[in-house]
Amino acid sequence: MPRFEVAEVFVNNARSAPTREALYDALIQGCSDMGIRYFALTHHIDFGKEAGPAVRVHNYPPDWEEWFDERGLGRTDPIHRACNLASVGFAWSAVPGMIKLTPDDRSVLERAYQIGIGQGFTIPASVPGEALGSCSFAVDAGQRFPDEFQFVCQLIGAFAFEAARRISGSRDVLADQSPILTDRQRDCVLWAARGKTDWEISVILGVGHETVIQHLKHARERYGVQKRALLAVRALFDGLISFSDILKH
Amino acid sequence: MVLLVDSTIDSIADTAFRSMFAARKSVFIDLLKWDLPVLDGRFEIDQFDDQHARYLIITDAGHEHLASARLLPTTRPHILDTLFPALCRGQVPQGRRVWEITRFCLGRQLRSAERRQIRNQLVSALATHALETGIDTYTGVAEMAWLQQILSFGWECRALGEPLPNQGCLLGALEITITPDTPAGLAAGGVWSPITAHEMPARRAANA
Repeated sequence: MPRFEVAEVFVNNARSAPTREALYDALIQGCSDMGIRYFALTHHIDFGKEAGPAVRVHNYPPDWEEWFDERGLGRTDPIHRACNLASVGFAWSAVPGMIKLTPDDRSVLERAYQIGIGQGFTIPASVPGEALGSCSFAVDAGQRFPDEFQFVCQLIGAFAFEAARRISGSRDVLADQSPILTDRQRDCVLWAARGKTDWEISVILGVGHETVIQHLKHARERYGVQKRALLAVRALFDGLISFSDILKH
Repeated sequence: MVLLVDSTIDSIADTAFRSMFAARKSVFIDLLKWDLPVLDGRFEIDQFDDQHARYLIITDAGHEHLASARLLPTTRPHILDTLFPALCRGQVPQGRRVWEITRFCLGRQLRSAERRQIRNQLVSALATHALETGIDTYTGVAEMAWLQQILSFGWECRALGEPLPNQGCLLGALEITITPDTPAGLAAGGVWSPITAHEMPARRAANA
């Protein structure tokens, strides 16, 4: 089958897939057409602990999921972390050059190899305001990854992630999102994220000290968080402030 | 409000046009670092901004640009067939009912929540415009992260070929099919927010 046709067939199947099972079957077929053994399409959340509309569809060996969840690796897995630094697909062999691997990370990668998962390629996928996700493809340990399919994997990953969003209902959560902070609250959160104290923020913005305290208190309440640091993280995640906003000063 | 404008300029369209070209410079050249020509140090205008292009522009009450998209007829030279034909596995889609979406531009002054709302209005305006004018297919070239967002809107998309690296990015070509079901698809994607036709003064201006 010509390379691009593999992607076309997958896109057709995934677009109409009504259930996770149908999406699983479509991915199995796509992998088989590419000569790839394993796939894992997943949101990067801790499936052992977190609820909510999220998808995980994979055909990794049966023990893997349990081992992975026991260690709460959904958010800390080295491949998932590398996704935060990548805008397009990357080979697993490139990961040590992307993030600093800890001893725990190395043991995760070794464990994967021991149970038979060899070279891989991961496509990061995200839609602003939602949990990050990815779609990984891997061959049996000791086999060569078919690099000529990397761009096809990229397309399959993108369409698979969208199908997963549709099937899981994660886009319904997004639909009722409304403006969460006022402009003034946002300004205070931004300066707090830049490390300013309440008093310093009051001087910068030219408002009363007490006003800043109130703005930040209301902002924390709107997000349902207790801590200043977490408030900044939530505002970053929502895109209400950005890394470049914080770092350019 | 949403304006549909062609090259027929009146004062409203003039304000919208100027602020759109300035916003395009700010987004595509200053922010995204695309290698594009600049006019007068302020405006991003290229060879496709001619009398055949159509523009959908979302503006504020003063007719200043908030967001915009440029539509190019595929019966004439456009981005996909002129610059990136390799992104299509087969023939580049062409026809009277096929238009290319380019320069999808969200003003940098927009903040997160407002940005999403304006983006939704622009996507909805694109679908509405297609249905009203007999366009059944949009095409477009997108970098992968943006392509993922386009897929998420809930309309029917198809890849036209394998993505290819270009200037440090990975670009892909998409075809979007517009049918009477598209608004329902966009609604399911949480995107459908049409602006009613009576808020489109420049449509009359353009057709006058």
